[in-house]
Amino acid sequence: MHAFLLRVSGQISGNEYDLTAIARDEAGESGVPHGSTLVAYADAVLGGDDVALSHARERLLQELGAEALVDAAAVVATFAMVDRIADATGIPLDGKVELMTQGIRSEVGADAFASASNTPRPGLLRRAIGRVLAIFLPMGFRLMRAIRR
Amino acid sequence: MMAEPSYDFAPVRVREDLVAAHRRVWEHISRPGTWWTGEQRRAMAAETRHARDCRLCRERATSASSSKMRGRHDGLGGLPEPIVDIVHRLTNEPGRLSKDWFNEVLAKGVTEAAYVEVVGVVTQTVNVDTFCHGLGVAYHSLPAPALGEPSRHRPEGARPERAWVPMVSPANAKGPEAGLYPLGGVPNVGRALSLVPDETRSVLDLLAAQYIPAGRVSDFWFDPQRAISRAQMDLLAGRVSALNRCFY
Repeated sequence: MHAFLLRVSGQISGNEYDLTAIARDEAGESGVPHGSTLVAYADAVLGGDDVALSHARERLLQELGAEALVDAAAVVATFAMVDRIADATGIPLDGKVELMTQGIRSEVGADAFASASNTPRPGLLRRAIGRVLAIFLPMGFRLMRAIRR
Repeated sequence: MMAEPSYDFAPVRVREDLVAAHRRVWEHISRPGTWWTGEQRRAMAAETRHARDCRLCRERATSASSSKMRGRHDGLGGLPEPIVDIVHRLTNEPGRLSKDWFNEVLAKGVTEAAYVEVVGVVTQTVNVDTFCHGLGVAYHSLPAPALGEPSRHRPEGARPERAWVPMVSPANAKGPEAGLYPLGGVPNVGRALSLVPDETRSVLDLLAAQYIPAGRVSDFWFDPQRAISRAQMDLLAGRVSALNRCFY
């Protein structure tokens, strides 16, 4: 879901973010400002290496500041919680999100996760609607961005 | 006297609303819950921390088929074994939880609602501990448990849906559950623990303080006014979920 929200953030702001940065083994460039620093921080918080975490924290502090470090820690903590809630309760993707993220999910490799089985595989009609949305949603967001300016 | 989370000695200033939210979580964990006493809930939080050093969990993490591995967890001893199993698996390998495993949990006599409350306590403990770890501060002392009996309240509006456990939809949030979703439309993950409404209230409170209020997540233009942008928040969120192999 957050890969989709990231894509939308980009479309709204006129930026094209590389979603595969979310799933790559090494922190790569997503196009999000300070993205590699943030990804390295998330990796270090969830990893087991305290030295790496110390370095990642210091780098984030230097690049983005103290308040950003607190906010980043809060987001990582939030999703350490939220992911577990989702996996422990077997919730499926929300209907609209499922429709809007079909292409994105394969882009970031999410369809290969075990918990993908909690969301029913879309039928032909939903897949067709998903493909149509993948074409027209970006146009819609760009239009809404132009209107809101 | 309850140990209250404090960030007075953190290397950076932690905003007051976050400190307050973590104090509310600690108080929530220490209180009698819906199906478990305060003492049991505190024991779940302690077991969550202890789970990180479990030998069985470490062996399972490197196994291609962890579901076939049997054995006893290195537990603290204060909780029934099925609950220890829930705590350890949820803490250490959430991406491998399955419907078959959940059905085994129920077959061992754990009710759906009791299970949901365990999930609530464990995940919120992981949340606060992860925040501390991210900042480089020591974990807070666990709160002293409060006396009292569980409420045993089951929401009338809980219905089976596609999830493993019944949930309360906004349309069915009535009576004691009126106001459970103050901003209306809430994604499934915001309703996932609603079989135990107090866990939902606590989780939604944390979401609002740490991320975005649940009812505003799909408002693409909503700006929570943080020091990092919405895009940066969603990059972090996506990365964490990818690392946890969480499809949702």
